[in-house]
Amino acid sequence: MQDNKSRRGGVFSYLLALLVIFALNFILPRMMPGDPLHAIYGDEALVAMTPQMEAHLIELFALDKSWSEQMVAYVLALLQGNLGFSYYYKDEVSAVIMGALPWTLLLVGLSLLIATALGVILGIESGYRRRERLDRGLLAGLMLLAGLPDFFLGILLLLIFGVSLHLFPLSGALTPYSGLEGLPLVVDIARHLFLPLAALVLVDVGGIYLLTRNTVVTILKEGFMLTARAKGCSEFCLRYSHAGRNALLPVTTATGLRIPQLITGALFIEIVFSYPGLGLMLRTALDARDYPLIQGILLLATITVLTANLIVDHIYKRLDPRVRYAY
Amino acid sequence: MHTDLCHEIRHDWMALLGILVMGLILLMAIFAPLLSPYSPSDYTGRIFSPPSLDHLLGTDSMGQDIWTRLLFGARTSLLVAASVALFASSLSVFIGASCALVGGLYDRFWMRVVDVMISLPTIIVMILIAAYFRPSLPLLILLISAFSWSGGARIVRSQVLTLKERMHIYAARTFGADPWHILKTHIVPDISPIIASLMIHDARRAVFMEAGLAFLGVSDPLIISWGKMMHQALAFTYLDVWKWWLLPTGILLSLTLVSLSFLGVSLEAAMDPRLYRHEREHGREHDRCYEDVNGQDYGNEREEHENGEIGLSEAGGC
Repeated sequence: MQDNKSRRGGVFSYLLALLVIFALNFILPRMMPGDPLHAIYGDEALVAMTPQMEAHLIELFALDKSWSEQMVAYVLALLQGNLGFSYYYKDEVSAVIMGALPWTLLLVGLSLLIATALGVILGIESGYRRRERLDRGLLAGLMLLAGLPDFFLGILLLLIFGVSLHLFPLSGALTPYSGLEGLPLVVDIARHLFLPLAALVLVDVGGIYLLTRNTVVTILKEGFMLTARAKGCSEFCLRYSHAGRNALLPVTTATGLRIPQLITGALFIEIVFSYPGLGLMLRTALDARDYPLIQGILLLATITVLTANLIVDHIYKRLDPRVRYAY
Repeated sequence: MHTDLCHEIRHDWMALLGILVMGLILLMAIFAPLLSPYSPSDYTGRIFSPPSLDHLLGTDSMGQDIWTRLLFGARTSLLVAASVALFASSLSVFIGASCALVGGLYDRFWMRVVDVMISLPTIIVMILIAAYFRPSLPLLILLISAFSWSGGARIVRSQVLTLKERMHIYAARTFGADPWHILKTHIVPDISPIIASLMIHDARRAVFMEAGLAFLGVSDPLIISWGKMMHQALAFTYLDVWKWWLLPTGILLSLTLVSLSFLGVSLEAAMDPRLYRHEREHGREHDRCYEDVNGQDYGNEREEHENGEIGLSEAGGC
């Protein structure tokens, strides 16, 4: 009963969190000193702006009306998917973001998959051999990695493998103007992706590893493990079908917590490697004070995080029969 | 919650290492003006000079002495860490404990606020706010604190909920103690290990966030910060200067963060009797006894276990 209530509460808090973000996006520019149009678009934008455009924008945001009418105009624009106009890229914010989004999705998606798989496998092996040399080494090494700030880990990889050893390209996602097609293009993309991906996976894998290891250590003491051993399960089956499967539950829950870290981590790491995703675009927008673009990127990131958490809540319910039967 | 933390930690290499490194960085921060003849914003007349006796770590693109800026950057990081730890954990304790003691609508309101705060991706919201305000140091500290108390409040609340049913609290109430007195003399001392662990988590997050925001270039340009130094140095990786500019700064920042998370993890291990028994088994009896007690209520035990572990994994990434 309690569980049921708290889950429904979960959806409600996500909605509230989303409202908080919308409210911040609405209020922050209007709290700044001076003309709200300046605050919404930034001083630099207005230099290039024609009087007609200014009049159009004032009408669009209802800036000459009361706050309540401005709010209605803001919500209507959002509902139409209109995030505003990026003066720096001279295009609609939504179009600009869509151009960078695939690279970030590639980076975050792949690192989520690789880090989860790696973390779970290492965690199971390490928990199974608790206090042997492999376990101690992995524990110390991964704890150290998890403690490093993500952007410095990226910088380290860049300095070692890019700057000093010249093994990988220093920046970008493709070699520009190379005219590559087919397989060479894929290889080129993979070469550019490798270092940012490695950095993101290394930062992320520690938490999942630690969680799996600790869960496996507790599961090994359970009665069903003894039963499985008694009925003649192989070591592999013991480790993965019995211990590993049970360890997946907390891993799924933790995935919800990891996604915000992964997304912000990707933003930072893209900046380090000048990888042309949302992170690098955010850095450009911050430097140019292109406020509509900053708002758009951060809004998208927040919505992704909240949706991911919501989905994880539901997957969790499907994975664990105990939670499902609680209804 | 009666564990002697000092005793537990004295035999833990992770905690000792953490304390040692934090102590060294603290000394650097306190004696910064004595350890370097320059002021961090002085123009020394030479840019990009390699390390020499005059300039231990050379000079940067603005002709400023890098070693001096490192020392003064430690001041910023530690100041932010200490203030946020103080503010955020006080908020956590005050809101968490008052929710548990007062209950009712007040409790439900704050727990809803906590739910929302926890589901918000903190760093993203901080970047958004910082992009508009370019916060100065005091504002930055307040901002980070305002976004760091929520998880702690929930932990404190759950602890106080069980604590307030104990005999000695009832006894204090029958003597006419008001909630404030109970909080001050009975609850806070009892949950002090938890508060210590919260403070370390908050401090770690604060160091990371300050550096991260400065690395993005959205904090006040006047603040001397490691994140800011890395932001500047990253533009010059094609020169050799990264060896004495980017690398030492990043290593110092990482040392601070790693030693704080080592301290946090060992504190948590010292406080959690289950981890304590797993990691330092004294004999089989202990495990048997623990399984007998908790074995029946399987679901409950599992949930508790997860909460504990999530706390741990949070200590890692930020």
